[in-house]
Amino acid sequence: MHYFASEFVPMDAILNPKRQVYLDHSATTPVDAQVAAVMTRCLSDTFGNASSVHGYGQQARAAVDRARREVAALIGARQSEIVFVSGGTEANNLAIRGLCEATAHHGRHIITSSIEHPSVRGVCEGLEKQGWEVTRLPVYENGIVRTDDVEAALRPNTVLVSVMLANNEIGTIQPVIEIGSFIRERHRAGQRNLWLHTDAVQAAGRIELNVDELGCDLLSLSGHKLYAPKGVGALFVRRGVRLAPQNVGGHQERERRAGTENVPGIVGFGEAARVAQDQLQQRETHVRKLRDRFEAEVQRRIDDVLMNGDREHRLPHLSNISFRFIEGEGLLINLDLQGVAVSTGSACSSGTLEPSPVIRALGRNDELARGSMRFSFGKDNTESDVDYVVDVLVDSVARLRELSPLNKQDVFSHR
Amino acid sequence: MSYSATFTDHLSHPRNVGELANATVIAEETNPVCGDRLRLSLVIRDDRIELAKYLAYGCAPTLVSGSVLTEMMIGKTVSEVLEMTRDDLINGIGGLPTRKHHAAALAIEAVRTCLKNVR
Repeated sequence: MHYFASEFVPMDAILNPKRQVYLDHSATTPVDAQVAAVMTRCLSDTFGNASSVHGYGQQARAAVDRARREVAALIGARQSEIVFVSGGTEANNLAIRGLCEATAHHGRHIITSSIEHPSVRGVCEGLEKQGWEVTRLPVYENGIVRTDDVEAALRPNTVLVSVMLANNEIGTIQPVIEIGSFIRERHRAGQRNLWLHTDAVQAAGRIELNVDELGCDLLSLSGHKLYAPKGVGALFVRRGVRLAPQNVGGHQERERRAGTENVPGIVGFGEAARVAQDQLQQRETHVRKLRDRFEAEVQRRIDDVLMNGDREHRLPHLSNISFRFIEGEGLLINLDLQGVAVSTGSACSSGTLEPSPVIRALGRNDELARGSMRFSFGKDNTESDVDYVVDVLVDSVARLRELSPLNKQDVFSHR
Repeated sequence: MSYSATFTDHLSHPRNVGELANATVIAEETNPVCGDRLRLSLVIRDDRIELAKYLAYGCAPTLVSGSVLTEMMIGKTVSEVLEMTRDDLINGIGGLPTRKHHAAALAIEAVRTCLKNVR
């Protein structure tokens, strides 16, 4: 299952010079022009290997260090606590597997949530096969984990709690601050071998982040969600936290991630982090305004829609809506033909379909999960984009509902 | 793989949508695994498909399969329609990725169920 991925691309739509509106910023963001300019300079001028002793190498080293300071500043960390990796998935793998391998002698139990990104889910499943025990906390109708459930799940042999900061499908912000403060309490009570990881890939650059306020030991970041290119990310590793490296055979990144640094990518990530920090408030206000306008119009003009996830504790740029009686992928492709790019939790392949586990975790039935769509706004969207998308959506939903044989009663009775 | 012009045309402008009030036969097939549904209603006169309408729920290829199928059927004899295969429908659509062939298979199944009820 590919979450929120259109299975194949209607190239006709892409090639037709219609109006294009990109509302899939939770999948990826375009590279910011300023970021691209800095990277282009780096590509031509800073080609040295950052591990080399000569001037070329030292120039690259200085560029990487500067980026490290900028990324650290975005989350209130120290420069030495940032490990550059290839992206969010690698950050999550390194955090969880690295921590678990390094601390297995203290215990082999992990607590996580039932709505984590597939990269967290995947690494937890892998550890389970190796004999680790994993507790997956439920979320409730609002899509939020309860700290009480973390407390109830905690065992003397728990070494890691991994709960995402904000969900990638519905944008709900998890109580990581509360969980962090509970874990610090446990430390004070003597359970010292307990660490907290949070996947902040969706949250970074969209809401204010501070690792000390969160109380986390490990935090994952990805460049391409904040207008940097793909192929670069970072893991915050709090000073003193031991990790078993997953890439070995080099001294880079303080022995935590071997391999020659992706200097242009890292430089782009640093610049994107700097700009994100500078413009955080402005971007947040802008996307929230667009998102709220969009939701108000959708609710006003389309019947039988259901908003997924908590209305308040959520990222400002994201809206997840179930459209009753229709299927997400059919709607997605209809929108794409009209130049509107969004995501759905439903992807049907070879006659198998697993409706989005995140929407199912909210207690929605399969049909509502299949009809869920994610609209994620970005800094370059405009009010006119919102109005165009709503018009297209009203038309597409009406057309698909006319086609739908679903008895409305079926859906309501299974809700 | 990109979609064919026929595919995008039928998705944007589906033909023969609805249910015939005076249908000779109606059948609905559901893919039990992915939940896609296709409902066909036909008016058959003198062993020939005179009218065909469909309703569909599912991914875009399922919606398109219903539309293209109804166009292919109208005017054909029952025997001719029974000879139609999944691949004929896929060709009529202008191709489908392999992982979406089940959509055409569901439509052909719905036709066969319909015509089984006639004969």
